[in-house]
Amino acid sequence: MSISRRDFVASVGAMGLASSLPRIALAQTENIKIGWLVAMTGPSSAPAAGFDRGVHFAANAINAAGGVGGRKIEIITRDTQGDPTKAVNATQELISQAKVHAIWGPTNSGESLAVTPIMAKAKMPNIHPCVIDTLIDTKKYPNAFRITPSNTQWDDAVRHYCLTILKLKKIAVIGDTTGYGVSAVNASVAAFKKEGAEVTYQANIDSTQSDLTPDMLRAKNSGAEVIVVWSVSTGMYSRMFNTRAKMNWDVSFVGHPSVSSGEIAPLLDKPDNWAKVYAIGYKSCSYDASGNLPPATQAFVANLLKAKVKLDDTLLWWVACGVDAIDLIAKAVGASGSTKPEGIVAYWNSIKGYSGHFGTYNYSLDQHNGYSTSEIVMSEARSAKNGTFALAPGY
Amino acid sequence: MFASILAAGLAAGAIYALVGITYNTMYSTSRVMSFTAGQLGMLGGVFGSYFILKLGLPIIVGFLATLVCCAILGYITEIVAVRPVLKSLEQHLYVLSTLALALMIQQVTAIEWGTEPRPFPKLVGWGEGVWDEKFWIPVVACALTIIGLEFLYRRTLVGRAFVAVAEDNFAAQALGLPERNLRVASYMLAAVVGGIAGFSGGELLLAFFANGALLNFYGFVPVALGGLGNNRGAVIGGLILGLFQQAANFLVGGIFASVAVFTLFIVVLLAAPQGLFGSAVARRV
Repeated sequence: MSISRRDFVASVGAMGLASSLPRIALAQTENIKIGWLVAMTGPSSAPAAGFDRGVHFAANAINAAGGVGGRKIEIITRDTQGDPTKAVNATQELISQAKVHAIWGPTNSGESLAVTPIMAKAKMPNIHPCVIDTLIDTKKYPNAFRITPSNTQWDDAVRHYCLTILKLKKIAVIGDTTGYGVSAVNASVAAFKKEGAEVTYQANIDSTQSDLTPDMLRAKNSGAEVIVVWSVSTGMYSRMFNTRAKMNWDVSFVGHPSVSSGEIAPLLDKPDNWAKVYAIGYKSCSYDASGNLPPATQAFVANLLKAKVKLDDTLLWWVACGVDAIDLIAKAVGASGSTKPEGIVAYWNSIKGYSGHFGTYNYSLDQHNGYSTSEIVMSEARSAKNGTFALAPGY
Repeated sequence: MFASILAAGLAAGAIYALVGITYNTMYSTSRVMSFTAGQLGMLGGVFGSYFILKLGLPIIVGFLATLVCCAILGYITEIVAVRPVLKSLEQHLYVLSTLALALMIQQVTAIEWGTEPRPFPKLVGWGEGVWDEKFWIPVVACALTIIGLEFLYRRTLVGRAFVAVAEDNFAAQALGLPERNLRVASYMLAAVVGGIAGFSGGELLLAFFANGALLNFYGFVPVALGGLGNNRGAVIGGLILGLFQQAANFLVGGIFASVAVFTLFIVVLLAAPQGLFGSAVARRV
């Protein structure tokens, strides 16, 4: 039997087509693999449980409803232990071995600084909840999107509360001596001055300093009407609040979410020393004077409780954030019709007014800080109830 | 302001002095500067909080249990980090071995105890303001420790044996003194002193894993200021350091206070390299 050149080309073409068909079919049915980088253990692991519950709640809900176009969500979790080196290794493994389609996390800025360039190089779609401003750069990291507010947005919200809602103009700004504390204080002071406020006192204090009377006295003598704080040190906060009480000084503290940490309560001389302390919080996860959450959040909480998701030992916004991140990835795959990175990123870049459980998101080609600053509020630091907080006075 | 400088300065100074004595006691029988001294101070606070607040033991039982745990750690330090490197003291391998053990202690504490400071119980419940017990308990503990050590070294046979080993361990061995056992005992004694530092300063410093590095650092300064191996020098150096640090906190503020402390430290060492109360070592020619 003789084979003509035309027959040969046709048969090779047919073989190629036949061999690629299963791959196309496989791509349409394989799971949507989402890498989940999280510090489940180690010193920065407090938010992990909340985020993780949200992630699995969302994945289970989507899968129970039939998945995305019939494709199930598969969460591939890697514990980074708060260690940037482990985060780098886990990221590379997720990209090259597990071949995930998108990555949610890491959950702390130190790890994110290390892995964001790696994900950018691999064009891996990434959503993260880290606050450091430089993590979002649409030119350097066009595939990275922030789901939470940035540090600048926190700063804007604190300034708005002090100047517009409390109507105070004489500000003391205090942070710790870490890199974060120093940069946050400098940025905060510059922004207050730009808006015409008088920064009467500025300091960075070693968080292990046992007696804070000197700094608090200086702040008081400067005429400060409110103290803005930027630190994650609960020990330093408890000493500040105890010192304020001993000085009989009726000044308010406003600032970093850590001022509402449950670790502070046992370190206080008296529970009342925690009064007039206002932490950065979120409208969606704050209850009003009647003790009611916004209606949408109430419905969300009811669904969580129905699914037996624990809320009494974590913060609601961590859970809500985990749910929104998985939903955003699933929606991107659904809208673009594939798990190709460019399709996912293009969908995220087109999001306008996406209403999640944690907040409303708006992204564009030039803006990957999607959380709306207007949804950041101040909360009564000592009012924690099932992971939510009371709105601070003025709202 | 003056009363506050005095109260907080003396309290911090007494804690630094006790950590300085911990360094000295370990050094005297082994010629090793063990960097576990500050960690023992940290553990004094952590064990105290654990036994009294978490397990609910009476204060005195919690205190004794804390000292026993610290003594065991002193014993482990001698075996693990000191004994293996004694033959090569001139290579200063003890810096690595004791530092490694100190870091290990700190990491284990961070993992098991947590990285946030935890409360330390009120021990007596006396005093308000500058007379708050958190200021005077470390000072009293420091004074009692010094009296106890003076009694031990001057009035007891074991204490005199310690002094003999510290003066010349070869001569002490030649006289039949059990040099190794005495060294182990001195490490346990030092660890107890470190535990007292952390326990008495617990209300001031809280039960916090990061206190170890702080006490290692500030506990070393009185040793260098007062002269290596000189307990009286360490006490005076510690109190001066505490007062100077607190005065600097009031006058120039947190970050600059640390700079001021180490400027003083360097200036003193430039003027008197053997420390303010140390004697120059004679050199064989």
